Amino acid sequence: MSEELLLKVENLRTHFHTKTGIVKAVDGIDFELRKGETLGIVGESGSGKSMTAWSILGMVPKPAGRIESGRILYHGEDLVQKSDDEMREIRGTGICMVMQDPLTSLNPVINIKKQLTETLELEYDEDKPSLVQRAIGLLSSVNIPAPEMRVTSFPHEMSGGMRQRVVGAISISRSPDILIADEPTTSLDVTIQLQYLKLLKDIQEETGVGIIFITHDFGIVAKMCDRVAVMYAGNIIEQADVVELFDNPQHPYTQALLKSVPDLDDDVDMLPTIEGQPPDLANTPSGCVFRDRCPNVADHNPDLGMGLVEVKPGHFVDQCCVMR
Amino acid sequence: MAAIDNALIQVNDLKKHYPVTKGAITKTLVGTVKAIDGVSFTINKGETFSLVGESGCGKTTTTKMILMSEPPTEGVITYEGADMAQFSSPARKEFKSSVQAVFQDPWSSLNPKMRVRDIIAEPIVTHEKVTNNEINERVNELLGVVGMHPFHAERYPHEFSGGQRQRIAIARALSTRPKLMVLDEPVSALDVSIRAQVLNLLKELQQTYELSYLMIAHNLATVKYMSHQVAVMYLGKIVELGDPKTIFGDPQHPYTKALISAALPSHPRLQREELVLTGEVPSPIDPPAGCVFRTRCPYVEEHQPDNEMGLVEVSPGHWVDKCSVPCK
Repeated sequence: MSEELLLKVENLRTHFHTKTGIVKAVDGIDFELRKGETLGIVGESGSGKSMTAWSILGMVPKPAGRIESGRILYHGEDLVQKSDDEMREIRGTGICMVMQDPLTSLNPVINIKKQLTETLELEYDEDKPSLVQRAIGLLSSVNIPAPEMRVTSFPHEMSGGMRQRVVGAISISRSPDILIADEPTTSLDVTIQLQYLKLLKDIQEETGVGIIFITHDFGIVAKMCDRVAVMYAGNIIEQADVVELFDNPQHPYTQALLKSVPDLDDDVDMLPTIEGQPPDLANTPSGCVFRDRCPNVADHNPDLGMGLVEVKPGHFVDQCCVMR
Repeated sequence: MAAIDNALIQVNDLKKHYPVTKGAITKTLVGTVKAIDGVSFTINKGETFSLVGESGCGKTTTTKMILMSEPPTEGVITYEGADMAQFSSPARKEFKSSVQAVFQDPWSSLNPKMRVRDIIAEPIVTHEKVTNNEINERVNELLGVVGMHPFHAERYPHEFSGGQRQRIAIARALSTRPKLMVLDEPVSALDVSIRAQVLNLLKELQQTYELSYLMIAHNLATVKYMSHQVAVMYLGKIVELGDPKTIFGDPQHPYTKALISAALPSHPRLQREELVLTGEVPSPIDPPAGCVFRTRCPYVEEHQPDNEMGLVEVSPGHWVDKCSVPCK
């Protein structure tokens, strides 16, 4: 059973033109997101995962940054061709970003009621008391206790977990199709993180919202994601269903990443590590971007350009290590 | 708890209370924040002791007591058998060079205006009389120990990645040949593939130099990988204490169980049985009487929350707060 396609990214390239060269933050990626599905984009600093999100949202920092080529298809239209005003509208109602740090994404001098009604009045042409009722309803839907009292609080009067939920409430207040969450739980305590992740899952089950989860944490991937794309130096080097990725990682980078994470359920003396550092994005190696760190490069074809090949139904790996 | 002669630091019934006052001129006491309220444990030589718990549990305050940044309200901390509160001035100075710290944020913990050489040498210069040649030798040696090169000494922090800066911070901490290092979330700000490198480095250093670590980390898997002993803290108290295999394999306290169940799975098929705690953590100004966990404990009906808290040894080396001991 194939759910409705919400988003299709085709050969996206987002580059930054700087004095020291062209930084290829995103350099030719393809993926899809379906209704009710959670896609994880996993990578480390500089992998391009956050810039992928900014590209979808039409928020690539100008003038240095721009989408060089590719298409981002949403409701049959290419977002790359949209104007700033059109993207602003889409960002409110269609594709919403859940911010990482609720302390900085909530206005500290405005109370919660105002911040919520500000967003709601863009969607609902109703009078103030009615909007406030909606706001209270939203807070209740994200499990904030005593919402009719909380609604007049200021962000600093709430705990980190509550603030995260308020930000979550604002994100879904206009019923978007797609939620993009960029490391939303980094600063949260583990039990609060769990509550928050469950909340996102509940919202998804109720509304069918598609979620793109950007993270470097494989634990979040294991808990939340249906499909995973692993990014390295601006490229997707592997993409698969979550169980398949954990069971049969094919790319050496994916394999090394998975092995280098300490496991609560396992015992190991010394964690295996990946030698070296990620490349300078203004100066990536030709051919396979991982070639300088790959332990198996001698058996591969690093001179081929980057490109995913389907090795099993639904499981894609960069051709460097697939073609013999 | 452990053999006394292997103990580096012993903490006995440690308390740190902060008064809360109202009024700018005549300060009236309106409450007390009981950041730590009766905590006892031993850090052995060459071992890692970890404090686990969420915001407000008292783990950071505990490290402040051990670093002697602030004096305790009550209780005794001994270092190599000597009461730290009774240190003479020279003994105190010596202590400060024997206990060093590495913090979470490799960006703000290094002075951006200082070259790496001066950053690493600063503790040496503070505590010892050394010539420039000696400083250079020691700095180069330390850079080698943390897997970097002598030419790195001339550079500034901003020229390095997060993982490298953390190595510089570790080199600085090692420069006075400490016996104990306080590690406050040493790898959580680093990329996943770099964490393993830094954790392995810390493990090697521990073995080479018989270093003790007092570690704070919220990632339980990291705690399990690094630790010899783990203490689970909640609202200023230790609720469970033992070796990581026991604590994570056979947790007894409901809070420990909740923490473990909240840990993210290592594989999509290995979903943990969830123990979602209701409510929020109570304020440390007004903790519940008796068992501090009673307002969130799913098993409180079967326990004795009115009794004063205290650890009981349920099996050799495994201690659990007595409130939940009959619970299975």
